[in-house]
Amino acid sequence: MNLIGLLSPELILLATGLLVLILDMAFHGKEGRREWLPFVAIAGLIVFLIAASFLWGTHTSLLSDMMAVDSFALFFKVVAGLSTLLVILASWDYFQGKTPYEGEFYGLLVLAALAITLAAASTDLIMVYLSMEFLSIGSYILVGYLREDPKSNEGAIKYFLYGAVASGIMLYGMSLVYGVTGTTNLAQIAQVFAAGKLTGDMLWLMLPALIMLLAGFGFKIALVPFHQWSPDAYEGAPTPVTAFLSVGPKAAGFAILMRVFLAAFPAFQLDWAAVLAAISMITMTLGNVVALKQTNIKRMLAYSSIAHAGYILIGFASVALDSPSLFNGVNGVLLYLLGYLFSNVGVFVAVIAFENATGSNQIPDYAGLIKRSPWLAGTLFVLLLSLTGIPATAGFLGKFFVFAAAINVQFYVLALVGIVNAAIAAFYYLNVARYMFFVPSQEESHVAIAPALAVALGIATFATLLIGLYPQPFIEFANQSVRLLGVF
Amino acid sequence: MSLPQILFLVVGVITLGAAVAVVTSRNVLHSAFLLALTFFGVAVLYVLLDTPYLAAAQVLVYIGAISVLIIFAIMLSRKVAAPDLVQRNSQWLLSLIVAVLLFGVLAYLTLQTAWPAAKQALGVDAIGGLGEAFVGTYALPFEVVSVVLLVALVGAIIIARER
Amino acid sequence: MQVLDDLWIRIAVWFRGLLESFLPPWAVQLTMDVLGILLLIVLGIVVVLAFTYMERKVIARVGDRIGPNRAGPFGIFQAIADAIKMLTKEDVTPTNADRWLFLAAPIVVIIPAVLLYAVLPLGRGMVGVDLNIAVVFVVAMGGIPILTMLMAGWASNNKYALLGAFRTVAQLISYEVPMVVALLTVVLLAGTMSTVGIVEAQASFPFALVTPVAFVVYMLAGLAELNRTPFDLLEADSEIVAGYFIEYSGMKFAMFFLAEYINLFMVAGMITTLFLAGWQWPILPSWLWFLIKVVLVIFLMMWIRATFPRFRIDQMLGFAWKALVPLSLINLFLVALVAKVLEPGWVRTGVLFVSNLALLAGAIAIMAQVARKREERARAAGEAAIKRYYGSEVR
Repeated sequence: MNLIGLLSPELILLATGLLVLILDMAFHGKEGRREWLPFVAIAGLIVFLIAASFLWGTHTSLLSDMMAVDSFALFFKVVAGLSTLLVILASWDYFQGKTPYEGEFYGLLVLAALAITLAAASTDLIMVYLSMEFLSIGSYILVGYLREDPKSNEGAIKYFLYGAVASGIMLYGMSLVYGVTGTTNLAQIAQVFAAGKLTGDMLWLMLPALIMLLAGFGFKIALVPFHQWSPDAYEGAPTPVTAFLSVGPKAAGFAILMRVFLAAFPAFQLDWAAVLAAISMITMTLGNVVALKQTNIKRMLAYSSIAHAGYILIGFASVALDSPSLFNGVNGVLLYLLGYLFSNVGVFVAVIAFENATGSNQIPDYAGLIKRSPWLAGTLFVLLLSLTGIPATAGFLGKFFVFAAAINVQFYVLALVGIVNAAIAAFYYLNVARYMFFVPSQEESHVAIAPALAVALGIATFATLLIGLYPQPFIEFANQSVRLLGVF
Repeated sequence: MSLPQILFLVVGVITLGAAVAVVTSRNVLHSAFLLALTFFGVAVLYVLLDTPYLAAAQVLVYIGAISVLIIFAIMLSRKVAAPDLVQRNSQWLLSLIVAVLLFGVLAYLTLQTAWPAAKQALGVDAIGGLGEAFVGTYALPFEVVSVVLLVALVGAIIIARER
Repeated sequence: MQVLDDLWIRIAVWFRGLLESFLPPWAVQLTMDVLGILLLIVLGIVVVLAFTYMERKVIARVGDRIGPNRAGPFGIFQAIADAIKMLTKEDVTPTNADRWLFLAAPIVVIIPAVLLYAVLPLGRGMVGVDLNIAVVFVVAMGGIPILTMLMAGWASNNKYALLGAFRTVAQLISYEVPMVVALLTVVLLAGTMSTVGIVEAQASFPFALVTPVAFVVYMLAGLAELNRTPFDLLEADSEIVAGYFIEYSGMKFAMFFLAEYINLFMVAGMITTLFLAGWQWPILPSWLWFLIKVVLVIFLMMWIRATFPRFRIDQMLGFAWKALVPLSLINLFLVALVAKVLEPGWVRTGVLFVSNLALLAGAIAIMAQVARKREERARAAGEAAIKRYYGSEVR
């Protein structure tokens, strides 16, 4: 396949994003036509997913080894495409009257999806940095999209200040790596270490370098020492953006973390695996414990998504790619991300539907939802069960795979902490369910759901149940996607 | 001591002095102009290191764009008239400790390491190589940068434009 | 002829030989360097004296006046008299001025102006340093005046001065964009960023003929960078008196004045270097050709100043972003494409010249169309307002 063919998914996303921006400008003052913009974006994303599917099984590197075309990158292309698709559906009615820049929102969202696909495919530190910065800048703008809302501004500025410092530190770490190895290419970095020519001093230098890199990646994923921005950003951001942030950039962060550490620093696996295991335990515990006390559902989901990042990290901390076992860690991460994508975006779609109808994000206001909208309550319940990790849902499959990976490499404590945390998490997820089903409410009015939201909610719930009930093809997909270029 | 060494010392002292003054000056606008002076000192250091292109880019970007932007932003903000701006808050001691520690670690690392990458000397015609790298090896990052800048521009308009 | 062409270089070589007879090598080098720098500065001052006189004369003649005619024959000592007057004037610092910045601004403003001379090829083999990034250097140094204008405008503690400084940022930054793109077009054609190399690349055709669009854009942007009419909004006398240097007097004012005319010479010199083949062209000595071309370009600028009214600020910014930037970008693509396809020579020059003229004509036609539509709309709105007002009165 030629260069254009290999790059076609990225080019399609770029063209779609620019097309939406240009059409928005061309439709200026013609209100009726602007409603076509989300369709344009969705059509572009579908074409993107189709184009990406043609690359299945292709393993090569492009443009002087700047990016890889491999199954791993393909998996994240799918994640980026699907999450953006669902978020566009979810934001259909959301921005009406809240911002005059509705068209740009879809454009920026599509470009953010491009950033995720680039991030997952980067095989050079320069591309890693650039794509993360691309994603970050897009995310800051999206978080601060509601300019009249002080909370949106607060979230954006906190996110921005944190992000600026984090990427600065990450860049410093990259410069140390370059200084020691003399290359920014991930595979060549690994070769330098494998050749064993470096002396003790310079190997010792890699510890601070790795920690600095981890600060940048951890910021995107919202791992614990680098997570402080996330509750405010999640609460303040427009809810569809929160849905996107909790899935897209997180997935991109994991993709980069895994690719950089597996492709460039396999020699240091003992060190980083231990650090990541510790971070994972702290992350999920803190996320879950703080989430228990939240009354705002967006804030609760923010902390819960921190906790989920912790679970996902279990899989990567216990990575064992050469192990004969089915549970090599990375496939657990991928499966978990896939399930989490549908469940979490689905929950947010339900939250948006509720917010659009009532204007509230408080958990007590969900009281009696079963009577006001049985469909909404029902689907939300299923999705919450999936986030909890109840069997027969997608969430269970992911948790099963990451815990099994931890046991496989004999990280028993890690697995145990994970299981205890899953139990804690059940409290606050089911608390929402308790309000919906058992607490009576004075409000009796029907909660109406817009058609686009209903479609998104339907897709999310269906996918969550499908992955839970018929996991075989998805497990196969994840197993195939573990193939990183030059690693496995 | 040779001439370049004397020059290096003089420029280094001016640059560092200006940098210290940036964080101690009680007039925020003076800080901004001194920051421009610091940037200029760094540009001169690049010249002394035989990298004229870096020096020109430093002046172009940091003085021509970033300093001007900072100064403009300060002038537009309300507190310009207040000359006695307190540059410290209650956490200054903590941040001083962190800054000193970070500096110590980085300085130690820099001095301890042999830096194999530094041995790849720059050619005399570095500018040609740079240009070729942009459209050759680094074509993809170069193009991605343009998209990133586009996104930033669109975002700036969304966030800052008057309604 | 050859002797005349090499005149200045011969003098330099002879002088170096003289010094070498009694000084150690390092001292010779040092003396020559210092002398060279001093010569450039003196050249700057001479340039200012000459061009102020020329400017007053030219503008006077365009306005059907005589101009300075008292000091010396044809008033040629007028500039010197002005200089003496300026240096002996009282040096005033406003009461609440920011003392340090107020003092620093006129000093800093002169530095980039003088530094720029280093890369200007004044004749064959007559250049301070043949920098391989000379063009980037010119652009970089062009950014510093913005800083000094902000410095002067703010430090003066004067509202007019501050307004002038604010206008500076808007204007200079906007016009830097088309200027750099036009520069890039030239670099693309010459294949080098060295000013000497660019002059040598114009041995057969000056770039003003190869790409007139870039020439026009650069000329207009240069006028704007110089704050000259029709872009003199920073110091518009009738609006903000003198802009950012309103509070300066005496020697400090002289420094701003000096910088302004040195920059005028510099921009004219850059236009000559980039578009008019620099010191090339036959018969006359190279340095004389350079001087003639520079004077012609400056004369053109003065002519423009004497005949055109000032822009309004929104018109000026709109012109930069909506006309010059797209035009120069399209031209850049065009030139890149043609230069890639065709070999250098008559054919390429012809193709570029014709396509550039077409581009220019198209741009002017579109601008005229837009202006006409805007005018019609404004007239219709005005008529409607009148009708509304009187219509209700009559009824």
